[in-house]
Amino acid sequence: MPGMINHLSPLLVVLLLLAGLLAVPAPAPQGVAQGAAPPVVALKVLHLDMSAPETGFDPVLTSDLNTAAIEQQLFESLLTYDYLARPVRLVPRLAARMPEVTQQGRHWLFHLKQGVWFAPDPVFGGTRRELTAQDVVYTLMRFMDPKNRSPYRFLLEGKILGLDERARQAQLTGHFDYDTPVAGLQVPDRYTLAITLKTTDYNFGHAMAQPMMGVVAREVIEAYAADTAAHPVGTGPYRLAHWIRSAHIVLERNPNFRRELWDFQAGSDPQDQALVQAMRGKRIPQIDQVDIQVVEEPQSAWLGFGKGELDVLGLSGQFAPLALEGDQLKPALAARGIHLWRMSDPSIAYYFINQQDPVLGGMTPEKIGLRRALLMAQNDTEMIQVVHKGQALRATYPIPPGVAGADPNYVSLLDYNPPLANQLLDRLGFRRGPDGFRRQPDGSALVVRYTTSLSSQDRELDEMMKKALDRLAIRFESEKLKFPEILKAERQCQIQFRLSAWIADYPDGDNFMQLWYGPHTHENNAACYQDAEWDRLYAQTLTLPDGPARSALYHQLARLLEINGVTKISTTHIRNVLSQPWVVGFKPHPILPSVWSYMDVEPGAVSAP
Amino acid sequence: MLAWRRLRADRVGLGALGVVAGYLLLSLLAALGWVAPHWEAEVGSHYAPPSWLGAAPSEAPWDPAPQSHWPGSVPLYGLQDPLAPLLATLGPPPGGVLAPVEAPRRSTLPLGADKWGHDVLAKVIQGGATSLQVGLFSAVLATFLGTLMGALAGYFGGRVDDAFNWLYGVLTAVPYLLLVFAIAAVLHQKGTGTLILILGLTGWTGVFRLMRAEYLKHRLREYVLAAGALGAGHWRRMFVHILPNTSHVILVQLSQNAVGFIKSEVILSFLGFGVPVDAVSWGRMLHEAQNEMNLGKWWQLAAAGCAMALLVTAFSLLTDALRDALDPRLKS
Repeated sequence: MPGMINHLSPLLVVLLLLAGLLAVPAPAPQGVAQGAAPPVVALKVLHLDMSAPETGFDPVLTSDLNTAAIEQQLFESLLTYDYLARPVRLVPRLAARMPEVTQQGRHWLFHLKQGVWFAPDPVFGGTRRELTAQDVVYTLMRFMDPKNRSPYRFLLEGKILGLDERARQAQLTGHFDYDTPVAGLQVPDRYTLAITLKTTDYNFGHAMAQPMMGVVAREVIEAYAADTAAHPVGTGPYRLAHWIRSAHIVLERNPNFRRELWDFQAGSDPQDQALVQAMRGKRIPQIDQVDIQVVEEPQSAWLGFGKGELDVLGLSGQFAPLALEGDQLKPALAARGIHLWRMSDPSIAYYFINQQDPVLGGMTPEKIGLRRALLMAQNDTEMIQVVHKGQALRATYPIPPGVAGADPNYVSLLDYNPPLANQLLDRLGFRRGPDGFRRQPDGSALVVRYTTSLSSQDRELDEMMKKALDRLAIRFESEKLKFPEILKAERQCQIQFRLSAWIADYPDGDNFMQLWYGPHTHENNAACYQDAEWDRLYAQTLTLPDGPARSALYHQLARLLEINGVTKISTTHIRNVLSQPWVVGFKPHPILPSVWSYMDVEPGAVSAP
Repeated sequence: MLAWRRLRADRVGLGALGVVAGYLLLSLLAALGWVAPHWEAEVGSHYAPPSWLGAAPSEAPWDPAPQSHWPGSVPLYGLQDPLAPLLATLGPPPGGVLAPVEAPRRSTLPLGADKWGHDVLAKVIQGGATSLQVGLFSAVLATFLGTLMGALAGYFGGRVDDAFNWLYGVLTAVPYLLLVFAIAAVLHQKGTGTLILILGLTGWTGVFRLMRAEYLKHRLREYVLAAGALGAGHWRRMFVHILPNTSHVILVQLSQNAVGFIKSEVILSFLGFGVPVDAVSWGRMLHEAQNEMNLGKWWQLAAAGCAMALLVTAFSLLTDALRDALDPRLKS
């Protein structure tokens, strides 16, 4: 029966609202006539689109970027990233200050803010519910509960002392014990949390800043156990007001949100000054409602933005030529006051060659030379201009700009150079056969298989590779697989040659360098590269914080990948975001999935409904 | 001969025949490599406009062959390069920087260039060869299958007829494109041959229906009964006696299917099920034009679209003229 009541009450609310709507218009004209009614304050609404449907609002269960953007506003994690600092910097969110890290990154002591309240919910029985350290412990434990099958379990797996043992025990008993404390998660008092890790991990702070680490209340999760995804109750600046699944989501300000003032420091970007001036000292959040429509077709989103129905638009690649001339906004759009935000994504696109492949793998000088010739034949400038229509940058280093450990001045060993590649192949014994194509030094056939997906852009990648191999007189074979099949084949070391991409989960070089770590074969190491020297150097980097010592090792790692012909870093994508003239205080963030609570819309400048 | 005389009297039909023959000749020459053999050569600048428009105002220029660093001059951070001894014998070039040579490219071409700088005129000709090849071979395959099955079903009737009708019913019950995709998924291979198979295996149903009706009609005619009385076997009666009397249906179906399949190839390539990377077809070109339209580069769309429209129209007119000329009932 309680379930019954839960279903009834929203219905009652709707009925009451309807009654209110019907009742209000009648007295309103009287009020206007008498001039006595208080002025109606227009709600500030931010209109946004989402390119794919949400997957529900239980942070432990979701992994997609669109949902993470909403969860970032509903829930709060211990840490977050500063809005304006570049490169991005961790700052406290639920924590009162940055954690005290001791024992070479093994012990993390968090002090929580006091007076953080959960959004109102019937579960709390009409009282205000304060967030405590125990809620954080419960939230972290949920990731390891086998029942939840969390896609971001890896953020905590094998890290916290005693938590993996608890998860194993739950696997056996079928029940996760949330009540007995875990050695690595201690709560000395209501507002203090001491986390002990199994090994050194300087990146644990980044894990604590992920949107899915947003803290939930145990009684809410247990009360709505059947459908936690539909009952998000967090401490964030917004709460879910209205939800039509896969179509329409409305967030409204959380009445219990604590008093926080906008106080970010301008970074090196000259545009920051005006932004800070417009926003400093305002209370967070300024916008009353965030109205999100699911618009899967980029064309519709583009037209909607053009008509002013959307306030901010992420420009998809195919529409970039419509809005941009080179790296500038088209004059017609600029004249309307529309603003272009252009930044390089913390991502890389990189070629990799399977080191265990019978044809291309192996460590003899011939095989290394063949792989390096293949990588040297790739024309990245043409890739940027023709395939990406100018919306990408040449990248040489495995760590992209804006991520800790990046080096924009790194010089590649494998620059585009077909004449040299051909000379190398000639000298290593890859002679041309009577058909004009090269053969292996032992005289057997040489065919290079390149794997792409099925979209029209993948067809362009095929054409690029065909051209590259034609330059070397090597036979080309195209393998077409659906994206999930490609991932599966990569895990089985079945892909010979591919252009892959990686975007930062967290802004640290380790998130990229781990892509070639031997033990990560069958996981992220799609090149199936297993090299004792490389693995030894990489293991050393894990014990070091970001700094010159780690950077020196990263340079060796990057160079070794090129020397052995494993990988060539190709490009970094450029993200283009458009905002309407009435949007204030907006600047896209490379890591945070949404920044709505830091923004404002100008009063009076009302966008079309 | 009578048919040829009738066709010659039909001006439109004759003109259409000329156009189709011209296309066939051009395609044959292209397939033999005598015309437009180097369509893959990048002779123009990227999106070079058609000559009569003049060169494009220089957009943001970029270097197609950027300078690159000589591997010997790049710091190795204390690591050993196993290829270093070999590289030492090859270089280094003066200044330590290499610039790969790029042949000069033309700023305009007769019908413009695509995104890589391929000559659109050469692509239209080579694409026509592919499209015609696909259209004709798949039409032959479909007509052959349809004729054979129609003949068997119509001639024998009974259980045989039921079996073929069941197959026909099943195939026609599935929406056409869905069926094509299903067969494409089963074949799980891309290429011109696959395309011909797909179109041939799905396209025989129309021919089957007409041929079955013809055989149903003819098998009880006097001349067939007479042939039977003279001792001709089933096979002989079906394919030596009846078949020539249905040839007008076959010919018309053949040309009609060819037109249909050229269009189907375009649709399939447009949807990404088409020819492989090293081939070009009109469908492929129209598919590429999708993205080019956003950039305002219309010439590839115009060239492939016009070439296809002209051929399909000519082929259709020819089919009409053939039907008029070949149908024995239409004696003027």
